[in-house]
Amino acid sequence: MKFKGSVLLVDDEAHIRKFVGLILRQFSVSTLTEATNGEEALAIYSAQRSDLVLLDVNMPKLGGIDTLRRLREMDPECVVIMLTSLATRQVIEEAAELGAANYIRKDTPKDEIIAALRETIESRFDPDKFENDSP
Amino acid sequence: MENLAALSEIDLTGRRILIVDDDRINLRILSGILQGERYQITLAESGEAALEAYAKARPDLVLLDVIMPGIDGFETCRRLKHTYGVDGAPVVFITAKSGSDDVVQGLAAGGADYLPKPFKPKEVLARIRSHLQSQTLVERQKLLVEQLSKANAAKNKFLGMAAHDLRNPLASIRGLAEFLCDGTVGPMTPDQLDLVRTIHDASQSMLDLVNELLDVATIEAGELKLQLEPQDLVGVLGKSIFLSNIEAAKKNTRIVQTEAPASAVTMIDQAKIRQVADNLISNAVKFSPPGSTITVVVHAAAGIRGFSVQDQGPGIPEAERDRLFKDFGRLSVKPTGGEKSTGLGLAICQKIVHAHGGMISAQNLPELGCEFRVTLPCPP
Repeated sequence: MKFKGSVLLVDDEAHIRKFVGLILRQFSVSTLTEATNGEEALAIYSAQRSDLVLLDVNMPKLGGIDTLRRLREMDPECVVIMLTSLATRQVIEEAAELGAANYIRKDTPKDEIIAALRETIESRFDPDKFENDSP
Repeated sequence: MENLAALSEIDLTGRRILIVDDDRINLRILSGILQGERYQITLAESGEAALEAYAKARPDLVLLDVIMPGIDGFETCRRLKHTYGVDGAPVVFITAKSGSDDVVQGLAAGGADYLPKPFKPKEVLARIRSHLQSQTLVERQKLLVEQLSKANAAKNKFLGMAAHDLRNPLASIRGLAEFLCDGTVGPMTPDQLDLVRTIHDASQSMLDLVNELLDVATIEAGELKLQLEPQDLVGVLGKSIFLSNIEAAKKNTRIVQTEAPASAVTMIDQAKIRQVADNLISNAVKFSPPGSTITVVVHAAAGIRGFSVQDQGPGIPEAERDRLFKDFGRLSVKPTGGEKSTGLGLAICQKIVHAHGGMISAQNLPELGCEFRVTLPCPP
């Protein structure tokens, strides 16, 4: 699938940004911006809104849940997918209540992560934002 | 002999003894017998005085006369047991009557033993010593259990933290290796591919281990919270079998479901029971020779729901049976296709099933293989 939108990837761990970045390359996203914590993410987002935000939960300075809350306050239309490592039900429920579009466990095999991203994009964006691979 | 030596080494100096008797002569005789022993002696001349003295002196042993004005020895003993419970000092009755009725009555009141009058000094000393020794051992054991459970909690906390911090880097290593393996980032020579596959497989098994360690730490810290919902075991097992069959096909092994009832609905945490089913089925595949058939049966009888998984492996060696559900309880039986095993899977299964109020058991089948059976309660 090709995603014709911009993506903001927020994770404090460089290797995760590399791994998820490679996954996003499969979607040939138009712009990929990276942030290493919640504060940075908010600053970037308020300067330049992204179509999709991939947001880590456990981060220094400002954690993912608080960042999600502030992002949604700033822009109620903001589409956010949470990146979790320990997906406790409580975190997932909190994120869902705050309007997160989906959550992805980082230890999921890459093809499953790609499938989850594809589903979220299909359900959340207008068809002109993405292009499905020709079968 | 070693045990006896260890017992005689227990230092009883300063141990506190409360002696209760309305007859001052008896008090004097007993004090005299105990004189050379370096115990701390407190005396009381009635049951009421004994209760007060006990609260102050907190003795390690009480010698208690039976017949006294006011509350008698039996009643005094009952009140002590009522107030101090199992942590109270043992009570030894002093009695002139050693008829079995009195002895029985004394023991029924919570007494640990009796000393017959007239006193035989050597016997008195020996019995007191023996009670103080066992009391000391009980205290030491309590202390040890307390220390051990603290150490275990600390271990779980550490394990949880370590596992948690290892997980993300491992997920990245595995994920990046996946990208190299499938050629997304460019072609590799067969030798390079072989190395990267090794990195992939090694990080995958470390990830599995870390996840299982986290499960154990979470469960042992009492943080296993079940989300119970009515679910159909036939469906849950069906999904598990479908996915496990993909892995099993690599060993030319088939997983079949027989005698499935129309439905087997009960209150379960679907994800957790699924974890149990996946684990039992993948174990069955692991330990059965290639080309085997694994049989899964869902049970639904009155008041009972459950399932069993039958393999065609070598069965469980009788001598190793009690290790089966223990943490890291790997047996001498080895996977038949070089698969990895952390030794934590069955321990986790048991904890999940117990949290559901159910049971998990294993038994060898008469001809070949063994059967793991999970039984879950089914509220009417």
